[in-house]
Amino acid sequence: MILHIDMDAFFASIEQAINPRLKEKPLIVGSRDNRMHTVVCAASYEAKAYGIDSGMSSRDALQLCPNLEFVPAQQGRYIWISEQIFRMLEGYGFSLAYTSIDEFQMDINDSVEPQKFARQIQERIYADFHITASVGIAKNWLLAKLASKLNKPNGIAVLTDTNLTEILDLVAVGKICGVGKKTGQILSDLGVKTCLDLYLKSADFLEQNLGKYGFNLYLSLHSQERFEPAEEESRPKSVGHSYTLPRATQTPGFIRAWVRLLSEMVAQRLRAQNLLADTVHLWLNGPEMGNLGAQKAFHEGSNDGYQIYQRSLKIMAKIGPKMPKVRALGVTCSGLLPNRYLPLFEEQKRREDLLKTIDKINGRFGEGSIYPGIIGLTKRMPRI
Amino acid sequence: MPYSSFSPKARWDRHIHETGEEKSSTAIGRRIEVLVWFKNTRANPRLFIWNNNKYKIKEITYYWQERRGQETLHCFSVSTGLDLYQISFSSVSLSWRLDKVIS
Repeated sequence: MILHIDMDAFFASIEQAINPRLKEKPLIVGSRDNRMHTVVCAASYEAKAYGIDSGMSSRDALQLCPNLEFVPAQQGRYIWISEQIFRMLEGYGFSLAYTSIDEFQMDINDSVEPQKFARQIQERIYADFHITASVGIAKNWLLAKLASKLNKPNGIAVLTDTNLTEILDLVAVGKICGVGKKTGQILSDLGVKTCLDLYLKSADFLEQNLGKYGFNLYLSLHSQERFEPAEEESRPKSVGHSYTLPRATQTPGFIRAWVRLLSEMVAQRLRAQNLLADTVHLWLNGPEMGNLGAQKAFHEGSNDGYQIYQRSLKIMAKIGPKMPKVRALGVTCSGLLPNRYLPLFEEQKRREDLLKTIDKINGRFGEGSIYPGIIGLTKRMPRI
Repeated sequence: MPYSSFSPKARWDRHIHETGEEKSSTAIGRRIEVLVWFKNTRANPRLFIWNNNKYKIKEITYYWQERRGQETLHCFSVSTGLDLYQISFSSVSLSWRLDKVIS
């Protein structure tokens, strides 16, 4: 069986554990230290009761609940606590995988009674970290993940061969991981409303209507293989960063500075994994243009932030001479290959040495200790 | 294994800084002296001195670590009964700091 361990309102619960004054209060964790202009990263269960959830703007959240408590996200502590939970779970000796910063999957064998074991894990997490987790248990990873959502918070749900159809019939199809609004609508139009409706459809039906994704969905739902089969290599398919600005702006220098910062962050991660990327994707979002994304493949792969930035600017130039209002932006690199090339020319060698030195400095003194001057412009939001 | 390339570190934009405007934190960042009691390999701060005033720690509400380059910060949220503070010990400078007043 697979145990899917999902921390309940992870970031908000940690903040409530740190600060007892916030316990049992509606609380949001914002992606940045700006109460009115940020996005909700996590909401406590008391805030969720007001209809507040992750992804919502903090302004909307405050409208729903004016006495909402606010804490800016402290990434460092969430990462550390997540790693400690992973290490603690590793100690049980079962095969274990991260699925996100606050979700873990464990493949347990018949030597333990699943429900009792899940309760033991919950108690240990609470004792060591003062936060709660919900656990889903099922025959494969997708159903276990679904089960973890059924009895939140601090609950356990087990999907067995005997109760599977009964429970799936009560759950809306949108609860399945990977079924978003668009897919949910397609399925709804086909008369697939519940998870059971989906479960009973054939592989052919799902492939005909949802393509390859539908076929994979069928396999994941019916798989007896406990963990999702590993990809042939653990190399990622893409590396990207995005950011939502406090408000929309059309100041070209400011927007370009953000593109440069995101390009540098992407490049640093590519270099850390010794990868090159030959395709750059730039994504912009604004009140007038909506979502605008374009990508371009280049002959030569790169992991140099300046080059990725220049490539992003080429894509941006297609938008037209006038900079539209931008609220959010993202840079993603794909077409990833191992970096097996040695620099041929003196200028390339110098550039590589420079990048290695920058990485060393940031590795020693912390990320963002040294950066290109243009990035300094991102520190101040322009008035227009 | 599901999502085998996931790393919690890669998910976060750790060096994105603030873009001006309102801030809610009450950062202090001052060096302090701390009296620590060590028990069962764990450090338990009992008292700290800031601006020549002694603050007796009644409760350690949480402990965690943060990394800044090669430096590890051992962070504690501590309550004096009246206020809640975040203090940290640096593995590089071997010194204590009062990071902020939490509430």
